[in-house]
Amino acid sequence: MATFTLFYRLILRPLAKERMRTALTVLAVSLGVAAVLAIELAGQAAAGSFRSSLETLTGRSNLEVTSAGGIPPQVFARLATAPYPLKLHARMEDYGVIDGQVRRTVPIIGIDLLSEAVLESAGDAAAPRTSSQLSAGNSVWLTSSLGYKSGDRIRLLTNDTVSDFIVRGVVDNQAGEAIVMDLALATRVLRRGGRLDRVLIEAPATRSIEEWEATLRRYLPAGVTISRQGMQTEENQRMLEAFRWNLSVLSYVSLAVGAFLIYNTISVSVVRRRFEIGILRAVGTSRIAILAAILGEAGCLGALGGVVGVVLGRVLSEGAVKLVASTVASLYFSSRPAPISLTGDAALWGIVMGVGISLVSALGPAWEASRVSPVEAMARGRREYQARVHRLRSACWAIILALIAWIASRQDAIHGKPLYGYLCALLSIAAMALVIPMLVAGLAQITAGLVRRLFGVEALLATRGLVGSLRRTSVLVGALATAIAVLTAVGIMVGSFRETVLVWMQDVLQADLFLSPAVPAGADRHPTLSAEIPGQLARLPEVAAVDTLRAYEINYEGLPTTIGGVDARVRGRRRRQSFLSGAPAEKVFQDLIGNDAVLVSEPFANKHHIRAGDVLKLELGGTLGSFRVLDIFYDYSSERGLILMDRGTLLRYLPAEEPSNVAVYLKPGASLDEAQRAVERVIGGRRVAVTRNGTLRDQAIQVFDRTFAITYVLEALAVFVAVTGVGGALLALVIDRRREFGLLRFLGAADQQVRRIILFEAGLLGVLANIAGVTLGFILSLLLIHVINKQSFGWTIQFHWPVTVLLGALFTVYAATVLSALYPAKIAIGLVPIEVIHEE
Amino acid sequence: MKVLRLDRVSKDYVTEGSSVPALHDVSLEFRPGEFVALVGRSGCGKSTLLNLAGAMDFPTSGTVWLDDVSTSTLSDSALTRVRREKVGFIFQSFQLLPTLSVIENVELPLMLAGHAQSRAIANERLRWVEMEAYANRMPFQLSGGQMQRVAIARAIANSPSILLADEPTGNLDSATSEVILALLRRSADELGTIVLMATHSLEAIGKADTIVSLHDGRVESVNPTEKVTAKA
Repeated sequence: MATFTLFYRLILRPLAKERMRTALTVLAVSLGVAAVLAIELAGQAAAGSFRSSLETLTGRSNLEVTSAGGIPPQVFARLATAPYPLKLHARMEDYGVIDGQVRRTVPIIGIDLLSEAVLESAGDAAAPRTSSQLSAGNSVWLTSSLGYKSGDRIRLLTNDTVSDFIVRGVVDNQAGEAIVMDLALATRVLRRGGRLDRVLIEAPATRSIEEWEATLRRYLPAGVTISRQGMQTEENQRMLEAFRWNLSVLSYVSLAVGAFLIYNTISVSVVRRRFEIGILRAVGTSRIAILAAILGEAGCLGALGGVVGVVLGRVLSEGAVKLVASTVASLYFSSRPAPISLTGDAALWGIVMGVGISLVSALGPAWEASRVSPVEAMARGRREYQARVHRLRSACWAIILALIAWIASRQDAIHGKPLYGYLCALLSIAAMALVIPMLVAGLAQITAGLVRRLFGVEALLATRGLVGSLRRTSVLVGALATAIAVLTAVGIMVGSFRETVLVWMQDVLQADLFLSPAVPAGADRHPTLSAEIPGQLARLPEVAAVDTLRAYEINYEGLPTTIGGVDARVRGRRRRQSFLSGAPAEKVFQDLIGNDAVLVSEPFANKHHIRAGDVLKLELGGTLGSFRVLDIFYDYSSERGLILMDRGTLLRYLPAEEPSNVAVYLKPGASLDEAQRAVERVIGGRRVAVTRNGTLRDQAIQVFDRTFAITYVLEALAVFVAVTGVGGALLALVIDRRREFGLLRFLGAADQQVRRIILFEAGLLGVLANIAGVTLGFILSLLLIHVINKQSFGWTIQFHWPVTVLLGALFTVYAATVLSALYPAKIAIGLVPIEVIHEE
Repeated sequence: MKVLRLDRVSKDYVTEGSSVPALHDVSLEFRPGEFVALVGRSGCGKSTLLNLAGAMDFPTSGTVWLDDVSTSTLSDSALTRVRREKVGFIFQSFQLLPTLSVIENVELPLMLAGHAQSRAIANERLRWVEMEAYANRMPFQLSGGQMQRVAIARAIANSPSILLADEPTGNLDSATSEVILALLRRSADELGTIVLMATHSLEAIGKADTIVSLHDGRVESVNPTEKVTAKA
């Protein structure tokens, strides 16, 4: 009890007295925790995909059969006649758009309605009971969340066709939105040509899942896969791993900036209490007790920050999930975010994170406090203590860390994760933090005369004030510089990536018009156009050439990817596709024709360690084929990777008559308007989006910008934490230097002069942080572009300075830093000189 | 000419809701070149009187006249100007800014006032206190006596008409105190500055022209000369 009383009097009471500073420190920790938690929750929710919701609709299946391009009907028949008590569920799955007042993209599930129990819950007493009845009048059953009732009519857009359907019943399903129809109808509407997308199997518990898997594999031809149900969700999760991991790391930046600020707060606390600590030591308090008390203070701040952070994280995750889900949908797979769930474990993790980061940050100052000698503390006071910044030693350590960082940057990824890359980033930040005292002191010394001449006495006092509390200044500059470095690094990386994509689009998007089904496509969805469209387009007098792409989802080495069949002859002549080998596009595409050969995209090659000349074994439409990799092409359209072969080759394995996309090249001099009108006449009543070259590029870059929106949010959060911290720290600086400000009033300083001193200090902090941050940011951007991105996603990014964006961001940070000093300046002006000067 | 005049000045401080009188009905007048020692027990009102005389605080009642201008009528910026131009402060604990060199400390009030020749004047003031050899040193490199000499140079940098010293020898040994008191004496004699010094030191009292004795916020006596007129 006595210990707690002392802890309260010596540690907690002072915290409560300086509410504003305590609140700002807690806020810094809580925002860091919130950022990490929000990204974690959003990542989980975004990955809880549409697939899993479909699975809940189908009951208790434990195995699933899939095949690239669909499962031939005879495979289903073989399984159905296998001598085992299995329950089979055939599935077709796609997306359609309900063409109502509000256009909604909804999953479509084709199932064998006669054998499935789904309709029993539809509560439709007059439910049809024969196959012909089920397909009659385009009958569909909707999940209750769509808001339709039995008897309603809906218009549904699938691929490029609109059809009318009658709602025959409502399925009460927790899984979200879905349209259910009979397999016979789905085969027609979804253009599956009799192939099934999946067969779900309910196997009895008489054997283990692994045994069933092995047994049933014998009934399946090469190219058809059997796996545990949910495997696809796991694959999706694995595919998302790098994306989520990198996003998490970025979210930890706010926490790292918060750590700087905790370190600062505890350092200040130790400095202020040095005399007090000396007395406590003199009256018999042990070193351990001092260490525990200081760590206790940090723990309290951390726990409070953690609790607030958990609440804040839950709130922020609502916004984050939208941004993350949008990226997941455009880059990885069709996903409808699952509800965000903040579990007790996650909340506890948030609090542990807050406490943990605070304790780790406070360890240094707490250790120093525990080493305080009573005599020294009471005799020499805090000035001596503050002066103990070993600039040269720190600079030497900085060089050593920088060297280790450089070595780390040369290492390969570990299990696909750029761990050494991040170690390099961490060491670079640490090296920067160590070199800052020298930077601050050096710059202050070099510019002292100039600053005084240009900006007068206030600037001189501000400069000396910062150098006078070098230890604290360095931590502040370090915190702000870290945030700026990340802002700069990610800004340069994204800007470079954007520029690279723009240049790439200029090369590969040479066609004048692009056609695609009006239903929204996704990274894993490839709706098709009617087969006759390319031929009809080619006959138009304005058209010089038509290029088609038929895309399919396949699984390669446990990861989903896309395979596409293209008209290699047209593509070779028309596209300025660049290859890693540097070979001319026309020759490479020519070599594709008539051969079992493929081209793979750079991300695919990096993900699966493929080189030109390797042979890929691909399961296509129930056949296992071997394909030689001719070359690797630069591609920025898909992170999942892309395999291209000639359309003729693809046709040998899968139906490819109906293209997923069509590119139309016009003859020289042809009017784009007239050509578009002609193309639209060919399309007739089909629902096809015809997009001009420029519009497509704009749309692509919009998707790009949306993809990186979450990174901007995280950067902004880190900067906000840093700026808040600077405000709090300046407030502490004012409180600590109140005697100095009081003295200045005695010496004739006016209000505005005191204000200018504080603002100038903030301004100097901002300048120093900008210098350190931009320098480090540049180094980190090279690391991001050439190491971390390459190891995580496999893209080649050309370096580019996004000058305008960077300058705008840096100016905003700088202005925010200076503005954060307004409140501390107000406090400094409000000090009563007589009181503060007589305190000592 | 009366540069500094206190007319029926009282000052109360409000602490936790109750009013604590610090000065009561004090009237004093000082002329240029006077060296005045304020004496009395701790808490008798010496520092309060110095603060009122230096326009650092306002009286609860009565008027403080500086060059025939009432400090109570001045705006905050005008008071700042008055402090810059007419008043110099010396403290017991020297109060030099540790981050500024000796010359920069002396220069500080001149710079705050926007003086163009601040460095030259500061050098001249350092010469006057015989500290020019230490101009580029930092305060922590000086002894207590040296720091107080620098503080005096800083206090007289703006050629103030009033020098307010709050126990200026309180932290010094007697030999060093002697030097400081001599400097204050010279300020009064050579510069014509009114030196108002709160002190407990008998040596310091011995150097003064006038001794104002305070007791519980009232002027108890004014000794020994006619230079000071006590009306309280």
